[in-house]
Amino acid sequence: MKGIARRLAGHLARGLVMIWVVLTFTFVIVSIMPGDPVQAEYELLLQQGHSPQQAEAQTAMLHRFRPTGSVLEQYLEYMGSLLRLDLGQSVVTRVDVSTILGEATRWTVIPVLIGTVLSFVLGVLIGVYAAIKRSGKLGDALTLSGSLLRGLPDFVVALILAAIFATLWPVLPRSGAVNILYEPGFNLDYILSLGQHAILPIATYAISSYGGWILAMKSSVVTVLGDDFILAAELRGMKRSVIFRYIARNAILPLFTIFALSIAALFSGAIFVERIFNYPGLGMLLINSIGRRDITVMTGAFLLITAAVIVANIVADMFYTVIDPRVRRAGDAA
Amino acid sequence: MSDVAAMTGATVTRATLRRNFWGSVWRVLLRKPSRLLGVVLMLGFAFMGSIGPMLYDRPLPRDPSVQFASPSLRHPFGTDFQGTDVFSLLVIGSRYVLLTALITAVVSVLLGTAVGLVAGFRRGALDAVLMRITDVNLTIPGLPLLLVLSTVWEFSGAWEMGLVLGLLGWGGLARAVRSQTLSLRERGFVEAARGLGLPNRHIVGRELLPPIAPYIAMNALMSLIVAVYAQVGLFFLGVMPVIGENWGVMLNRAVFDFGAMTTPARLPYMLAPLLAILLLTIAIVLVVDAMDEVFNPRLRVE
Amino acid sequence: MKVTRLTASLAAVALVLAACGGDGDDDSPTTPDDENGAVDETPAEGEVQRGGVYTTIAATQLDATAPPNPFFPQGNSYLGYNSMRLGWVKNHPTNPSEFYPGLASEWDVAPDNSTLTVTIHPDATWSDGTPVTAEDVVVSSDIAYTRGAGAFILSPGAAGTASDVEVIDDKTVQFTQDPENPTSTFINGIMDMVIVPAHVYADQLPDDFAQTLEAARNDDDAGEAARETVSEAGEALASFAPEEDVSAGPYVLERINPSEALLVRNEHFHHDHLVAPDQVILRNYTGNEQIWDYLRAGELDFAQFTAVPPDVVQQIEQVPGNEVSRTYSPVVAGLAFNQSYKPFDDVHVRRALAFAIDREQTVSIATPDGGTPAITTSGMHQEVLDAWAGEVAGELEPYAHDLDRAAEELEAAGMTQENGRWMLPSGEPFEVPIQVVTGFSDWITAGENIATQLNEFGIQSEILTAPDFTVYQEDMANGEYPVGFWLIGLGPSPYNIFQRLYGQSNGWQVLQGNLSYSPPGEDGNWKGGPETVEVDGIGTVNPGELAHELNTASPERVDEIMSILAQVTNETLPAIQMWDYINTQFSNNNRFITDPPDDARRITGVAALAGVWIQQGWVSAAG
Repeated sequence: MKGIARRLAGHLARGLVMIWVVLTFTFVIVSIMPGDPVQAEYELLLQQGHSPQQAEAQTAMLHRFRPTGSVLEQYLEYMGSLLRLDLGQSVVTRVDVSTILGEATRWTVIPVLIGTVLSFVLGVLIGVYAAIKRSGKLGDALTLSGSLLRGLPDFVVALILAAIFATLWPVLPRSGAVNILYEPGFNLDYILSLGQHAILPIATYAISSYGGWILAMKSSVVTVLGDDFILAAELRGMKRSVIFRYIARNAILPLFTIFALSIAALFSGAIFVERIFNYPGLGMLLINSIGRRDITVMTGAFLLITAAVIVANIVADMFYTVIDPRVRRAGDAA
Repeated sequence: MSDVAAMTGATVTRATLRRNFWGSVWRVLLRKPSRLLGVVLMLGFAFMGSIGPMLYDRPLPRDPSVQFASPSLRHPFGTDFQGTDVFSLLVIGSRYVLLTALITAVVSVLLGTAVGLVAGFRRGALDAVLMRITDVNLTIPGLPLLLVLSTVWEFSGAWEMGLVLGLLGWGGLARAVRSQTLSLRERGFVEAARGLGLPNRHIVGRELLPPIAPYIAMNALMSLIVAVYAQVGLFFLGVMPVIGENWGVMLNRAVFDFGAMTTPARLPYMLAPLLAILLLTIAIVLVVDAMDEVFNPRLRVE
Repeated sequence: MKVTRLTASLAAVALVLAACGGDGDDDSPTTPDDENGAVDETPAEGEVQRGGVYTTIAATQLDATAPPNPFFPQGNSYLGYNSMRLGWVKNHPTNPSEFYPGLASEWDVAPDNSTLTVTIHPDATWSDGTPVTAEDVVVSSDIAYTRGAGAFILSPGAAGTASDVEVIDDKTVQFTQDPENPTSTFINGIMDMVIVPAHVYADQLPDDFAQTLEAARNDDDAGEAARETVSEAGEALASFAPEEDVSAGPYVLERINPSEALLVRNEHFHHDHLVAPDQVILRNYTGNEQIWDYLRAGELDFAQFTAVPPDVVQQIEQVPGNEVSRTYSPVVAGLAFNQSYKPFDDVHVRRALAFAIDREQTVSIATPDGGTPAITTSGMHQEVLDAWAGEVAGELEPYAHDLDRAAEELEAAGMTQENGRWMLPSGEPFEVPIQVVTGFSDWITAGENIATQLNEFGIQSEILTAPDFTVYQEDMANGEYPVGFWLIGLGPSPYNIFQRLYGQSNGWQVLQGNLSYSPPGEDGNWKGGPETVEVDGIGTVNPGELAHELNTASPERVDEIMSILAQVTNETLPAIQMWDYINTQFSNNNRFITDPPDDARRITGVAALAGVWIQQGWVSAAG
């Protein structure tokens, strides 16, 4: 147990260092980043048909919100406020970055979770089947389809889904998160509207990650099938259900490690999915903040995504430590 | 995909191996025609990216009166907004995409193999440092990082893009190569070679690398897919200049400028690069599948 | 539903208007009103049929986390809906100072433009039941000073500012223009002001704010300190989150999510009887293609101008109920040159390019529904060319597509043709890089087409993109682009029209009310044109000085200057005028009939136009 705690502490320390590295890196980028958000806003307003005076009136105040001081001062200040978990305010909207991130994270985490769970269940079931039938044509085809889906970029999946269900046969919306007319809360209309808008993103997450599950589950089952226990059990004529339970339990455990990593990967994939379905999550936020040069929001979103990936890695590793006694012992010894 | 347990190379003599190799490749391909398809597709893409663009005179012929024509025999994917043939754009655009992917694969394979071999072979403090760096490489979310990077760097050429993607994508291979190097060490033939007084260069080049090579080759193929995903994706998102000839730009313009999602008539322009990516993925997956069986005879027994 | 058009105009500008004659497609009979600013307002007979949800697009980014504060940089305060100005500027083609009433029901301008007297509508009431008073206007102008824009700029020497704000009675306020540096558009700076409730916002200003403002007008250290205090107050206001939305407009913000905002009827609105829809949904968009989707689905009751590809327009028009309106839009797309780069400093080269580019082809490919090919390069929209340039208009070189003349001009510039390619005198190929920016689909498509055309003519040309508009702006100002797209002719104010050609980007900038000239490469002068030019029949002129003079010139002089500048622009081609934008708007009449007069279709500075129309009664229930 002590070993596990020490391992966790080590991970956390390294995670913090990682976050610091990423933060410093982002700061360097921001400091050499060209472009003036205020001037861009001004020209965009002209493009939208504002008169120069109106555009000037709209943007005049923004000049005051430019960061002041040298890059180093800004950096130290930012680090200081980050220690108090204060991410600053958006350069463009003046809203607290943590508020903005909180709002956006909701829209990413829930669909990603649902999509992952869906694909996990599907992938595990099909993976077991593919492993058992691995010498047959069907098992082969399932495995191949798994490799293909794992290789296929999620934006290809999203675009194809959008082309089918939003363009050729327009039954599902391609933008937004929920119809504003429904009172938010626990009522059927609201939830249905949420669901209707989330179907395509969730389906994309599910389809593009389920290939990986098939492959992982198949290879995991194949390993377990080779165990002496199974051979012995089969020879002794044990009940199939008992054998199946043994296979499932031992083959699924390693997959939970991948589960955490898969969620982390989907956080990146969300950038495409949310852009294509105009879904207001973290990925969309990152793209928009880059386009508007909203550097505080950009830094915040990038930090949050990195933190999510780091946490997922730690969770995966800790889980692995707990289920695999060899690693646990190694940790104790170290 | 493979645990590369088949470390048979060390026991069989090299000449026999080579003779048997092509035979087994052929048998493996014949066993499933889909694999032949994969190889043919791969060759097709290689042709498309290397020779293809040279087959067209520049500037491309166009007919401004037929913008976004429907697919026909003359224009298999229709025409674009200026009346240029979409298929020729696809061919010309393949060069950047495939070249970038190739560079990415080379960079990430070289780096990943080197780091993995050195870490596994040397062990000790160097190993610890290299593995920390590998962890960082694996943990940094690549795509968001590229988005942030794109604000200061235009990745204008295939070389720059490929280099950056390669630098971001070697961690997984390094880790795998290291663990295999470690397991080879455990089998003792590194110690044996050392005992014979063979130089490190020989041990790494002749004893360690050959058994891992198939795994590395398959990894290189898979990293082609990842590279295509990342670069086409970046152009698609529009954080890169949406100019020039490549599939990502075509996708971006189809969706965000030309209304491919609004007007079914413009769908072919979007579907052309999508189909190309799909076929490329299929080709690589099928070839990797075949390679897996060639190098993993255990699978063949079943 | 018939509503009498409301007209209000300035005597000064009316004279200009009378001198200019008619104005093209403008179907509203905006006869100059001799009563000088008085509004002849005839509210609609009877009441409109109420009910329903009106769905439209917001041009600003929706931010679900921002409060309903109009001074918040992206606050959820929508002009025309839950936020009101004194008046809504019509953007009449040649008269920049005509308004539809907002919170003001009357506005009187002194004949010499020295004062503006504004009267709040007698029934104007905030959504919490408090009446809108002169006090609200005063607090709002105080706040406007903290933002330093419009007529409310404290820096000494700024032009067209208000030097005094005086309450006449409970509903009337008089603004006096600073006589030192008056402009003809002073009135716009005030009518454009957003009015907020004093009982919510007054507490956000520091104590003794009036005295601070007084001190801030002085050109000394104390004045400087006072100006800083004022700006700090503005910063604080920009972070203020009112607990609830208090609106004097037709709607109040009900709730908002990241993609839509819901606004509900404000029963206290003074023209509530004209407001048909009970609710309004404002949709967010991050790319034009989303608007196309909504329109194709028939979901939008109204959408303002966006670049739309031609066959998408056809698709949209086929949807039952969808209608497309095309009116004048005071914006022109130009292809501007940086004359610091050779050979673009040679007028023959610029003229050659003007002849070589087939603008009609470019527009038909790039933006057939969003623009009309420019008939010539004059620096102004063709809609107002005759009005402003009069006789000169007919004498301008049209630069019609003519490859022979293009070749002549290139030869005049010392170039030669080898193997079909044009070579510079130095023997190197002549290259034209065309800079555009990601996300501006019409510019990109046009740029690509221009490059294609030039290549076909034998000029090496390629298109380069900046990754986004921010970078484009900065790089352009730093002089990194030899040739790039640039918006010009931003009417209707004469100064605005030429400010984009002969303003800061070409070396002339206004500091403390004084015009100064910076040589190419300095202070944002990236066009690098000559400071003075010889014009046939006129002699040596300084275009920047002339443009600056437009701010204050008499109507006769304005006419004269506009003709000269049109001629200068036509002869020296600092930019090639590519196309004049068309204000293409979409509406759907299944649920509501949206029928504003033409000049109300280009009310500027609001994120979602329909709000202004709804409150004037130009939106009525269908059937």
